[in-house]
Amino acid sequence: MSKEITLNHITKIEGHAKLVLGIDKGKVRRCELSSIEGSRYFEGMLKGRRYDEAHEMTSRICGICSCAHVVTSLMAIENAMGVVVSEQTEKLRVLLTLGERIRSHATHLYFLALPDYLGYESALAMASKYKKELKQALHMMKVGNRIITLVGGRDLHPVSATVGGWLSLPSQEDVREINHLLHGIKKDALATCKLFFSLKYPQFESSGESFSLVDESEYAVLKGRFVSEESSFEIHEYRKFIKEYHEARSTANFVVKEGKHYMVGALSRLNNSSVFLSRDAQRMLKKSGIKLPSRNPFENNLAQAIEMVHCIDHALKMCEELDLHDEKVVDVVLREGTGVGAIEVPRGTLWHEYQVDGGGCIVNANIITPTAQNLLNIQEDIREFVPRIMHLNKEGMVLEIERLIRSYDPCFSCSAHFLEVNWC
Amino acid sequence: MLKTEQLREGERLKRLYVFGNEYLEGDSFSYVIAQELKDCVDIVYCRSPEELIDVEGEILILDVVKGISEPLLIEDCSVLKTKKIISLHDFDLGFFLSLLKEMGEKKKVKIIGIPMQGDVEKIVKRVKEWI
Repeated sequence: MSKEITLNHITKIEGHAKLVLGIDKGKVRRCELSSIEGSRYFEGMLKGRRYDEAHEMTSRICGICSCAHVVTSLMAIENAMGVVVSEQTEKLRVLLTLGERIRSHATHLYFLALPDYLGYESALAMASKYKKELKQALHMMKVGNRIITLVGGRDLHPVSATVGGWLSLPSQEDVREINHLLHGIKKDALATCKLFFSLKYPQFESSGESFSLVDESEYAVLKGRFVSEESSFEIHEYRKFIKEYHEARSTANFVVKEGKHYMVGALSRLNNSSVFLSRDAQRMLKKSGIKLPSRNPFENNLAQAIEMVHCIDHALKMCEELDLHDEKVVDVVLREGTGVGAIEVPRGTLWHEYQVDGGGCIVNANIITPTAQNLLNIQEDIREFVPRIMHLNKEGMVLEIERLIRSYDPCFSCSAHFLEVNWC
Repeated sequence: MLKTEQLREGERLKRLYVFGNEYLEGDSFSYVIAQELKDCVDIVYCRSPEELIDVEGEILILDVVKGISEPLLIEDCSVLKTKKIISLHDFDLGFFLSLLKEMGEKKKVKIIGIPMQGDVEKIVKRVKEWI
């Protein structure tokens, strides 16, 4: 018996993706996952622009991850131009990034993932029965937004961060407000863990290695080596190991590490850096039943729930450590250079690279989003997973496949380009 | 024109939650109208609907409505078009208000919809009648 399944619009993910699946005599003969978002051309748009415009432009790649693009872009430009920022600047960037992760994880877990596991079509359909849970999600999202607003100047496309520092600093009172708000949602994050630990996840193991940044002293946010269970490299060496390639069927590039597909995201971070989780997040990890290293992508939801607890604790630590004082933005001396920035964002590791000429103009830009890195891994997971669900009817199979895809929390809107960039 | 005293709710000015995008032509018209109302109401510019989650009492909203030429008062949120949330980008005011309703939140919501452009003076006068 043969069947062909085409999912032209996979729902409850960011952006648009398509899956073509061909099954013949119980075997998967064709499995093609593609992004069908319109091409974004961001890297092309950046060419010829000033070095200090990159973060503002790339912020527009995605409203959900605008802070992530701002911070990664700034760090890549600073690396290209030899700019070293202060400890205070770094801490505020961490706080901004954590605020965005809290908002993103809360939204994904409750509004995109949870309905799948509770048997509802959408969050709206489950709202009357799960009022308390959705309220706690909304509170966490609101606090995430507030952190971004107070640190970044507004809740979408932050305006305060700039190359070399901050154009405007939050006040110490703002930091106290953030501290207070974070304490207020800690119980919600713990309840989120409890809720997601109570759900049943399919047993499945992905064949891809799980990569994330690993810092020597803390759960990586802005720095570290790119590490998996089996290998690691410094971020500035990424072109030696990571290759992007294009297939005509997809507007997003596919990304491989030394020819192999791999996974990024909350589960990868847990696999590689769990030792640096906060005490309460460690406690939640023990309760979760996850056995690390885990390559079960469905457990990415659990990992996001645990990370919520950690992000709150980490942000609280930042608030305690911040003793805000006026600082001059570091002067930028124009020079030629190439710089890489890589940070951990809600969906995994985000890469920006810029080549700048002596006049401060961007000559080349390259952006690799977490979803582009996960795309091939998801496709190969589907190929492995489908034989296990062949007994289901078409609708049942589609639901299970979508659930697998959604567990990665993909964002196809952000897959920024589709052409290989040729560097001179 | 209504006097400020008439708009007071006890000792406090009514709060008007203003949605829109200050950088987008048409969608920024709510900001223009809000500027003219600042003596009468306490203006709160909202970028995300979840900011309304803890609001007590009546929620008074000013937002731009595509396809209308005159201001419009919406007191029944079920008339709003609600799409299923298929991505985080769909988490808009309409979805949020539908969610509140499904959650059984008994909040009274009044939305003052304004067109994307028009005679500011006339629109402000009309809006004040509804506040």
